Amino acid sequence: MGNFFDFIVEHLTQFLHFTAFANLTVGHLIMICIGLIFIYLAIAKEFEPMLLVPIGFGILVGNIAFAPGYQIGVYESGSVLNYLYFGVLNGIYPPLIFLGIGAMTDFSALISNPKLILIGAAAQLGIFGAYCLALALGFSPTEAGAIGIIGGADGPTAIFLSSKLAPDLMGAIAISAYSYMALVPVIQPPVMKLLTTKKERLIRMKPPRAVSKVEKIIFAIAGMLLTTFIVPSGLPLLGMLFFGNLLKESGVTKRLADTAKGPMIDVVTILIGLTVGASTQATTFLTLKSIGIFALGAASFVVATFGGVMFVKIINLFLKEGHKINPLIGNAGVSAVPDSARVSQVVGLEYDKTNHLLMHAMGPNVAGVIGSAVAAGILLSFLA
Amino acid sequence: MRKRKTYLIPGILAILLIISGTGIGKAQNASSLRFNEILVHNDSNAVDDFGQHSPWIEIFNSSFNTVNIGGCYLTDDLNNPTKYWIPTGTPSTKIASRYYIVFWADNHPTRGVFHLNFTLEEGKTIALFDANGKTLLDKIEIPAGQKPDVTFGRKTNDSNDWVYLDKSTPGADNDYSKKKSAGEKFVEFDPYGIGMTVIAMMVVFAALAILYVIYKNIGKFFIRKAAPKPVALTSESKVVVAEEEMSGEVNAAIAMALYLYQSEMHDYENTVLTINKVSRNYSPWSSKIYTLRKIPNNR
Repeated sequence: MGNFFDFIVEHLTQFLHFTAFANLTVGHLIMICIGLIFIYLAIAKEFEPMLLVPIGFGILVGNIAFAPGYQIGVYESGSVLNYLYFGVLNGIYPPLIFLGIGAMTDFSALISNPKLILIGAAAQLGIFGAYCLALALGFSPTEAGAIGIIGGADGPTAIFLSSKLAPDLMGAIAISAYSYMALVPVIQPPVMKLLTTKKERLIRMKPPRAVSKVEKIIFAIAGMLLTTFIVPSGLPLLGMLFFGNLLKESGVTKRLADTAKGPMIDVVTILIGLTVGASTQATTFLTLKSIGIFALGAASFVVATFGGVMFVKIINLFLKEGHKINPLIGNAGVSAVPDSARVSQVVGLEYDKTNHLLMHAMGPNVAGVIGSAVAAGILLSFLA
Repeated sequence: MRKRKTYLIPGILAILLIISGTGIGKAQNASSLRFNEILVHNDSNAVDDFGQHSPWIEIFNSSFNTVNIGGCYLTDDLNNPTKYWIPTGTPSTKIASRYYIVFWADNHPTRGVFHLNFTLEEGKTIALFDANGKTLLDKIEIPAGQKPDVTFGRKTNDSNDWVYLDKSTPGADNDYSKKKSAGEKFVEFDPYGIGMTVIAMMVVFAALAILYVIYKNIGKFFIRKAAPKPVALTSESKVVVAEEEMSGEVNAAIAMALYLYQSEMHDYENTVLTINKVSRNYSPWSSKIYTLRKIPNNR
């Protein structure tokens, strides 16, 4: 009887050692709190809920303090989460998301006023500003490149590039990119107001012209050919983006376009969000580097906004009256679609209730998607 | 026209099939395989899986995908290109991207896949042939004067210069010096990232500026095309053509209204209850008579 009692106690003790309570650290608790904050922001404040709910829940999943060796965690070979994480590690999910983005993006605003494309290029200054700062802070060149891409304000691009250049930092970079994308309405308006005069904020732009179907189809094909001929390393992202757009604009592949922008992007978003969140295990995530990445991410968004707004102010010097661009759409050059365009609209309405900037801001906004993918290709070709 | 269309799709499929069919019977991208390093006199160099010091041949997969060397041929006689057939059906003959495989030229083919049926001799030419036994993939003539335990190989993996190597590297890069990554090399010249910023911003601007220039001109063409053609006016009838330009905002409002109309969600859907008569035709499968046990006829 005594032996049996010992047997029960021994195995109960052994079982207790397997539970998350026995393996819990302060780091895990901190990360669980961060995950809960993400979920709260997504549900209560509706900050990017499609991203923050999967990521926030993924953080909870990733920070259950299990005993290693049972093929449970995202970093353990053979675990289910590890298989799902494969798509992140090998950069499979981001191009699929780009396919969906292409299928749901209307480039009409850009095509009707092509000079807005250049704002999308100027706002990429944030990427390289953050790259310089990261180098100055002692990050390695590849790490600096991966951190810099946060300034592109494009989650899939950030995940794609960091998976190639600095896989160890991917969790922190992805979380930082998505967090700041959600915080675009908080970060950008002060910078926009600081850099513009009241007169500039009241500039009215000509309404965009109607764009024909043929123009849209040509854009999808010419856009892909031109950008990837210049930066072939951006092909996985740009190729899929324009392919998705061609599915949409061709008008004969509605089913494919619907799948790309509907069920497929939803599935991939769920997988990417959950696994990226789960990759933030306290042991790998809570480091000084992560804090540095968050600081640099914030700086990159500020620099990107600065680049976009200042570029508009500069080109306005060369434009005739009546053709000037409202610098409040400069911030939309970062590719946080459509949040940054929405910020332009909201800030513009603060100064003139009848001046709707949303359609104009969508031009640089979608150009920013192309610009950040091109910038990622450049970083990849120089640093990989 | 319809007839042409009928032939078009099978035609395209046939061409694709023919193109893909050319790879049948060939090793995958075997053309990327090349001799990389050889050792003719092995006194105290690498030992094989039988503990023997045998001459060896290293082959390098210069491509960026896995290549299966199985099915290809190795020979030391160009007149007999199929002298040693590398067995297929084993995963060990797959060479990873930019990786190596070593064969032992010990004339003991019974010892396994990687043991050849010839040895290395000075003055002879060794060659690698594709799976068809005809296409020469690579060859190297072994020069006279080979020193014991000193390997003869490419200076670097991608070089065509063959030299005596300071260090033998079976299954590894011939250039064993520490290499800097592309990023490290870049930052050596550009420690603050200014160069990267200038170059990258120029490239991003160039890419999007080209798109801008093209689209500006395409836009002009389409605006001209979309403009209404001038109406020929006669002296008798003067028609005033009022050109009404619709702004994008108006278009957007119309589009939104149409979208809302087409995707209107109903709280209560129209429902029609339909009761149709279902007719069942006679079938021997459903006939009752066939499902009953038949009474034996005892007459």
